[in-house]
Amino acid sequence: MSRRTTIIIAVLLLIAAGAIWGYREFTRVPASLTDLDADHTVDAVSLIKEFTTNDSLAGKKYRNAILAVQGQVKSIDSSGNFYTIVMGDTSDMSSVRCSMDSSHFAAMSAGIQRGKAITIKGAITGFKKDETGLLGSDVELNRCVVQQ
Amino acid sequence: MTRKGILTALLGIMVLSVSAQDKFFTKSGRISFVSKGLIETNSAAHKSVTAVLDSKSGQVQFSVLMKGFEFRKALMQEHFNENYVESDKYPSSTFKGQITNNGDIKYQTDGEYNATVKGTLTLHGETKPVEATGKITVKGGKPRLQSDFNVQLSDYKIGIPSMVKDKVNNTVNISVDCSLEPLKS
Repeated sequence: MSRRTTIIIAVLLLIAAGAIWGYREFTRVPASLTDLDADHTVDAVSLIKEFTTNDSLAGKKYRNAILAVQGQVKSIDSSGNFYTIVMGDTSDMSSVRCSMDSSHFAAMSAGIQRGKAITIKGAITGFKKDETGLLGSDVELNRCVVQQ
Repeated sequence: MTRKGILTALLGIMVLSVSAQDKFFTKSGRISFVSKGLIETNSAAHKSVTAVLDSKSGQVQFSVLMKGFEFRKALMQEHFNENYVESDKYPSSTFKGQITNNGDIKYQTDGEYNATVKGTLTLHGETKPVEATGKITVKGGKPRLQSDFNVQLSDYKIGIPSMVKDKVNNTVNISVDCSLEPLKS
Protein backbone atom coordinates (compact mmCIF):
# COMPACT_ATOMS: atom_id res chain seq x y z
CA MET A 1 0.00 0.00 0.00
CA SER A 2 1.45 3.33 -1.03
CA ARG A 3 2.03 6.10 1.48
CA ARG A 4 -0.63 8.23 -0.24
CA THR A 5 -3.28 5.51 0.03
CA THR A 6 -2.48 5.04 3.73
CA ILE A 7 -2.91 8.75 4.38
CA ILE A 8 -6.24 8.85 2.49
CA ILE A 9 -7.57 5.85 4.44
CA ALA A 10 -6.43 7.38 7.73
CA VAL A 11 -8.13 10.70 6.91
CA LEU A 12 -11.36 8.91 5.88
CA LEU A 13 -11.32 6.88 9.08
CA LEU A 14 -10.84 10.06 11.11
CA ILE A 15 -13.74 11.77 9.31
CA ALA A 16 -15.96 8.70 9.86
CA ALA A 17 -15.02 8.54 13.56
CA GLY A 18 -15.75 12.27 13.93
CA ALA A 19 -19.12 11.91 12.18
CA ILE A 20 -20.12 8.95 14.39
CA TRP A 21 -19.05 10.83 17.54
CA GLY A 22 -20.93 13.95 16.41
CA TYR A 23 -24.09 12.02 15.61
CA ARG A 24 -24.03 10.15 18.92
CA GLU A 25 -23.38 13.37 20.84
CA PHE A 26 -26.17 15.21 18.95
CA THR A 27 -28.74 12.49 19.60
CA ARG A 28 -27.65 11.68 23.19
CA VAL A 29 -30.57 11.72 25.62
CA PRO A 30 -30.26 12.73 29.29
CA ALA A 31 -29.05 9.71 31.26
CA SER A 32 -31.48 7.93 33.55
CA LEU A 33 -30.45 8.36 37.16
CA THR A 34 -31.30 4.75 37.99
CA ASP A 35 -27.81 3.50 37.16
CA LEU A 36 -25.84 6.56 38.24
CA ASP A 37 -24.23 6.92 41.67
CA ALA A 38 -25.24 9.85 43.86
CA ASP A 39 -22.59 12.51 44.52
CA HIS A 40 -24.02 13.17 48.00
CA THR A 41 -26.33 11.31 50.35
CA VAL A 42 -28.18 13.65 52.68
CA ASP A 43 -31.37 13.67 54.73
CA ALA A 44 -34.14 16.01 53.59
CA VAL A 45 -34.35 18.10 56.78
CA SER A 46 -30.57 18.72 56.85
CA LEU A 47 -30.58 19.64 53.16
CA ILE A 48 -33.34 22.22 53.68
CA LYS A 49 -31.47 23.61 56.69
CA GLU A 50 -28.24 23.96 54.70
CA PHE A 51 -30.02 26.03 52.05
CA THR A 52 -32.10 28.15 54.43
CA THR A 53 -28.98 28.91 56.52
CA ASN A 54 -26.75 29.87 53.58
CA ASP A 55 -28.18 29.23 50.13
CA SER A 56 -25.08 30.55 48.36
CA LEU A 57 -22.75 28.11 50.15
CA ALA A 58 -25.15 25.19 49.77
CA GLY A 59 -25.68 26.09 46.11
CA LYS A 60 -21.94 25.84 45.45
CA LYS A 61 -21.63 22.58 47.40
CA TYR A 62 -24.41 20.83 45.50
CA ARG A 63 -24.11 22.52 42.07
CA ASN A 64 -25.09 20.10 39.27
CA ALA A 65 -24.92 17.19 41.74
CA ILE A 66 -26.96 14.02 41.88
CA LEU A 67 -28.34 13.66 45.40
CA ALA A 68 -29.71 10.68 47.28
CA VAL A 69 -32.17 12.31 49.68
CA GLN A 70 -33.48 10.36 52.66
CA GLY A 71 -36.58 11.40 54.53
CA GLN A 72 -40.27 11.17 55.16
CA VAL A 73 -42.86 11.65 52.43
CA LYS A 74 -44.92 14.77 53.24
CA SER A 75 -47.18 14.46 50.23
CA ILE A 76 -47.38 13.30 46.64
CA ASP A 77 -48.49 16.05 44.25
CA SER A 78 -49.82 15.08 40.85
CA SER A 79 -50.51 17.12 37.76
CA GLY A 80 -51.73 14.99 34.87
CA ASN A 81 -49.19 12.19 34.48
CA PHE A 82 -46.50 14.04 36.39
CA TYR A 83 -45.74 13.33 40.03
CA THR A 84 -43.76 15.19 42.65
CA ILE A 85 -42.80 13.56 45.93
CA VAL A 86 -42.50 16.15 48.66
CA MET A 87 -40.10 15.30 51.50
CA GLY A 88 -39.18 16.88 54.81
CA ASP A 89 -40.58 17.79 58.19
CA THR A 90 -44.39 17.90 58.15
CA SER A 91 -44.41 20.78 60.64
CA ASP A 92 -42.24 22.93 58.34
CA MET A 93 -43.52 24.63 55.18
CA SER A 94 -40.15 24.20 53.46
CA SER A 95 -39.53 20.94 51.61
CA VAL A 96 -37.43 18.96 49.21
CA ARG A 97 -39.54 18.60 46.08
CA CYS A 98 -38.65 15.67 43.84
CA SER A 99 -40.10 15.83 40.33
CA MET A 100 -40.27 12.18 39.36
CA ASP A 101 -38.96 10.61 36.19
CA SER A 102 -42.34 9.62 34.74
CA SER A 103 -40.95 6.53 33.00
CA HIS A 104 -39.95 5.09 36.38
CA PHE A 105 -42.65 6.42 38.66
CA ALA A 106 -45.45 4.02 37.73
CA ALA A 107 -43.31 0.99 38.56
CA MET A 108 -41.87 2.44 41.75
CA SER A 109 -44.83 4.26 43.26
CA ALA A 110 -46.42 1.19 44.86
CA GLY A 111 -46.33 1.50 48.62
CA ILE A 112 -45.17 5.11 48.66
CA GLN A 113 -47.45 7.06 50.93
CA ARG A 114 -47.44 9.98 53.31
CA GLY A 115 -45.22 9.38 56.35
CA LYS A 116 -43.15 6.61 54.74
CA ALA A 117 -39.37 6.93 54.98
CA ILE A 118 -37.75 6.60 51.55
CA THR A 119 -34.63 7.54 49.61
CA ILE A 120 -34.97 9.39 46.33
CA LYS A 121 -32.18 10.03 43.87
CA GLY A 122 -32.45 13.15 41.76
CA ALA A 123 -30.56 15.90 39.96
CA ILE A 124 -30.63 19.12 41.96
CA THR A 125 -32.00 22.09 40.02
CA GLY A 126 -31.67 24.65 42.81
CA PHE A 127 -33.30 26.37 45.75
CA LYS A 128 -36.49 28.38 45.46
CA LYS A 129 -36.60 30.89 48.26
CA ASP A 130 -40.11 31.87 49.31
CA GLU A 131 -40.53 35.61 48.96
CA THR A 132 -44.21 35.63 49.86
CA GLY A 133 -43.88 34.10 53.34
CA LEU A 134 -46.88 31.92 52.47
CA LEU A 135 -45.44 28.94 50.66
CA GLY A 136 -42.18 27.84 52.27
CA SER A 137 -38.82 27.57 50.52
CA ASP A 138 -37.95 24.47 48.53
CA VAL A 139 -34.94 22.54 47.33
CA GLU A 140 -35.92 21.16 43.94
CA LEU A 141 -34.74 17.99 42.21
CA ASN A 142 -35.82 16.55 38.89
CA ARG A 143 -35.47 13.28 36.91
CA CYS A 144 -35.98 11.59 40.29
CA VAL A 145 -36.12 7.86 40.89
CA VAL A 146 -36.94 5.97 44.05
CA GLN A 147 -33.85 4.22 45.36
CA GLN A 148 -34.65 0.65 46.35
CA MET B 1 -66.93 35.37 76.95
CA THR B 2 -70.09 37.38 76.27
CA ARG B 3 -72.41 36.65 73.34
CA LYS B 4 -71.12 39.80 71.64
CA GLY B 5 -67.53 38.61 72.13
CA ILE B 6 -68.28 35.17 70.65
CA LEU B 7 -70.05 36.77 67.67
CA THR B 8 -67.08 39.09 67.03
CA ALA B 9 -64.65 36.13 67.23
CA LEU B 10 -66.78 34.10 64.80
CA LEU B 11 -66.98 37.02 62.38
CA GLY B 12 -63.21 37.42 62.63
CA ILE B 13 -62.69 33.74 61.78
CA MET B 14 -65.10 34.05 58.83
CA VAL B 15 -63.27 37.12 57.47
CA LEU B 16 -59.91 35.33 57.78
CA SER B 17 -61.33 32.27 56.05
CA VAL B 18 -62.72 34.30 53.13
CA SER B 19 -59.44 36.21 52.84
CA ALA B 20 -57.46 32.94 52.70
CA GLN B 21 -59.67 31.67 49.89
CA ASP B 22 -58.73 34.68 47.75
CA LYS B 23 -55.30 33.22 47.19
CA PHE B 24 -54.47 30.17 45.10
CA PHE B 25 -51.17 28.49 44.35
CA THR B 26 -49.31 25.55 42.90
CA LYS B 27 -45.75 24.31 43.03
CA SER B 28 -46.34 21.75 40.28
CA GLY B 29 -47.31 23.97 37.37
CA ARG B 30 -46.07 23.35 33.87
CA ILE B 31 -44.29 25.60 31.41
CA SER B 32 -42.96 24.50 28.06
CA PHE B 33 -41.28 26.36 25.26
CA VAL B 34 -40.71 25.73 21.60
CA SER B 35 -38.09 27.27 19.35
CA LYS B 36 -38.65 26.55 15.66
CA GLY B 37 -35.38 26.80 13.77
CA LEU B 38 -34.94 26.31 10.03
CA ILE B 39 -33.52 22.80 10.44
CA GLU B 40 -35.02 21.55 13.67
CA THR B 41 -37.45 22.37 16.44
CA ASN B 42 -36.23 22.47 20.01
CA SER B 43 -38.54 22.20 22.95
CA ALA B 44 -38.32 21.78 26.70
CA ALA B 45 -40.73 21.34 29.57
CA HIS B 46 -40.74 22.30 33.22
CA LYS B 47 -42.97 20.52 35.76
CA SER B 48 -42.16 22.47 38.93
CA VAL B 49 -43.50 25.95 38.31
CA THR B 50 -44.56 27.89 41.39
CA ALA B 51 -47.55 30.12 40.74
CA VAL B 52 -49.54 32.32 43.12
CA LEU B 53 -52.77 34.11 42.25
CA ASP B 54 -54.59 36.65 44.36
CA SER B 55 -58.07 36.43 42.89
CA LYS B 56 -59.20 39.54 44.72
CA SER B 57 -56.57 41.86 43.25
CA GLY B 58 -55.76 39.87 40.10
CA GLN B 59 -52.07 39.82 40.93
CA VAL B 60 -50.26 36.77 39.68
CA GLN B 61 -46.71 35.53 40.04
CA PHE B 62 -44.79 32.65 38.49
CA SER B 63 -41.28 31.43 39.19
CA VAL B 64 -39.09 28.64 37.83
CA LEU B 65 -35.59 27.36 38.39
CA MET B 66 -33.90 27.37 34.98
CA LYS B 67 -32.13 24.05 35.52
CA GLY B 68 -35.54 22.40 35.87
CA PHE B 69 -36.22 22.57 32.12
CA GLU B 70 -36.01 19.09 30.63
CA PHE B 71 -35.02 18.56 26.98
CA ARG B 72 -35.19 15.41 24.91
CA LYS B 73 -31.57 15.92 23.85
CA ALA B 74 -28.90 16.15 26.53
CA LEU B 75 -26.63 18.32 24.38
CA MET B 76 -29.34 20.94 23.92
CA GLN B 77 -30.04 20.94 27.66
CA GLU B 78 -26.33 21.50 28.36
CA HIS B 79 -26.10 24.33 25.82
CA PHE B 80 -29.29 25.90 27.18
CA ASN B 81 -27.95 26.02 30.74
CA GLU B 82 -24.31 26.82 29.98
CA ASN B 83 -24.39 29.05 26.91
CA TYR B 84 -27.85 30.57 26.52
CA VAL B 85 -29.55 31.28 29.86
CA GLU B 86 -26.39 30.81 32.01
CA SER B 87 -28.29 29.01 34.76
CA ASP B 88 -25.47 29.14 37.30
CA LYS B 89 -25.36 32.94 37.03
CA TYR B 90 -29.12 33.47 36.64
CA PRO B 91 -30.73 30.47 38.39
CA SER B 92 -34.37 31.52 38.20
CA SER B 93 -36.90 33.33 36.07
CA THR B 94 -39.98 35.13 37.38
CA PHE B 95 -43.08 36.75 36.00
CA LYS B 96 -45.03 39.24 38.11
CA GLY B 97 -48.19 40.65 36.67
CA GLN B 98 -51.73 41.80 36.94
CA ILE B 99 -54.83 40.33 35.30
CA THR B 100 -56.19 43.48 33.66
CA ASN B 101 -59.76 42.18 33.32
CA ASN B 102 -59.87 40.47 36.72
CA GLY B 103 -63.34 41.87 37.38
CA ASP B 104 -64.73 39.73 34.53
CA ILE B 105 -63.55 36.48 36.10
CA LYS B 106 -65.96 34.85 38.52
CA TYR B 107 -63.73 32.70 40.68
CA GLN B 108 -66.72 31.32 42.57
CA THR B 109 -68.52 30.16 39.41
CA ASP B 110 -67.40 27.25 37.25
CA GLY B 111 -66.63 28.35 33.72
CA GLU B 112 -64.00 29.37 31.20
CA TYR B 113 -62.93 33.00 31.15
CA ASN B 114 -60.64 34.90 28.78
CA ALA B 115 -57.94 36.81 30.59
CA THR B 116 -55.26 39.33 29.76
CA VAL B 117 -52.23 39.73 31.96
CA LYS B 118 -49.70 42.54 31.96
CA GLY B 119 -46.48 42.35 33.87
CA THR B 120 -42.74 41.94 33.80
CA LEU B 121 -40.70 38.88 32.95
CA THR B 122 -37.24 38.54 34.43
CA LEU B 123 -35.02 36.16 32.50
CA HIS B 124 -31.22 35.99 32.17
CA GLY B 125 -30.99 38.97 34.54
CA GLU B 126 -33.08 41.20 32.25
CA THR B 127 -36.56 42.46 33.15
CA LYS B 128 -38.93 43.36 30.31
CA PRO B 129 -42.64 44.14 30.08
CA VAL B 130 -44.82 41.31 28.79
CA GLU B 131 -48.51 41.24 27.90
CA ALA B 132 -50.24 37.94 27.23
CA THR B 133 -53.70 36.57 26.71
CA GLY B 134 -54.95 33.29 28.05
CA LYS B 135 -57.82 31.59 29.74
CA ILE B 136 -58.78 30.84 33.30
CA THR B 137 -60.90 27.75 33.79
CA VAL B 138 -62.68 27.56 37.14
CA LYS B 139 -63.82 24.11 38.21
CA GLY B 140 -64.95 23.26 41.72
CA GLY B 141 -63.67 26.59 42.98
CA LYS B 142 -60.15 25.97 41.67
CA PRO B 143 -58.70 28.05 38.84
CA ARG B 144 -56.51 26.67 36.05
CA LEU B 145 -54.35 29.26 34.27
CA GLN B 146 -53.34 28.69 30.65
CA SER B 147 -51.53 31.02 28.32
CA ASP B 148 -49.35 31.09 25.20
CA PHE B 149 -47.08 33.95 24.34
CA ASN B 150 -43.86 34.73 22.49
CA VAL B 151 -40.65 36.25 23.76
CA GLN B 152 -37.65 37.45 21.80
CA LEU B 153 -34.38 36.02 23.11
CA SER B 154 -32.55 39.20 22.07
CA ASP B 155 -34.75 41.22 24.47
CA TYR B 156 -33.19 39.24 27.31
CA LYS B 157 -29.65 39.46 25.93
CA ILE B 158 -29.58 35.74 25.18
CA GLY B 159 -27.14 35.45 22.30
CA ILE B 160 -27.33 32.78 19.62
CA PRO B 161 -23.92 31.68 18.30
CA SER B 162 -23.69 32.04 14.50
CA MET B 163 -22.94 28.29 14.16
CA VAL B 164 -26.42 27.36 15.40
CA LYS B 165 -28.39 30.33 14.02
CA ASP B 166 -30.36 27.97 11.78
CA LYS B 167 -31.24 25.70 14.71
CA VAL B 168 -32.33 28.27 17.28
CA ASN B 169 -34.98 30.85 16.52
CA ASN B 170 -34.85 34.24 18.23
CA THR B 171 -38.60 33.95 18.85
CA VAL B 172 -39.58 31.40 21.47
CA ASN B 173 -43.17 30.35 22.12
CA ILE B 174 -43.94 29.80 25.79
CA SER B 175 -46.95 27.82 27.06
CA VAL B 176 -48.11 27.99 30.66
CA ASP B 177 -50.51 25.54 32.31
CA CYS B 178 -51.01 25.78 36.08
CA SER B 179 -53.83 24.18 38.05
CA LEU B 180 -54.09 26.04 41.33
CA GLU B 181 -55.26 25.01 44.79
CA PRO B 182 -56.62 27.28 47.53
CA LEU B 183 -53.84 28.64 49.70
CA LYS B 184 -54.61 27.74 53.29
CA SER B 185 -52.94 30.16 55.65
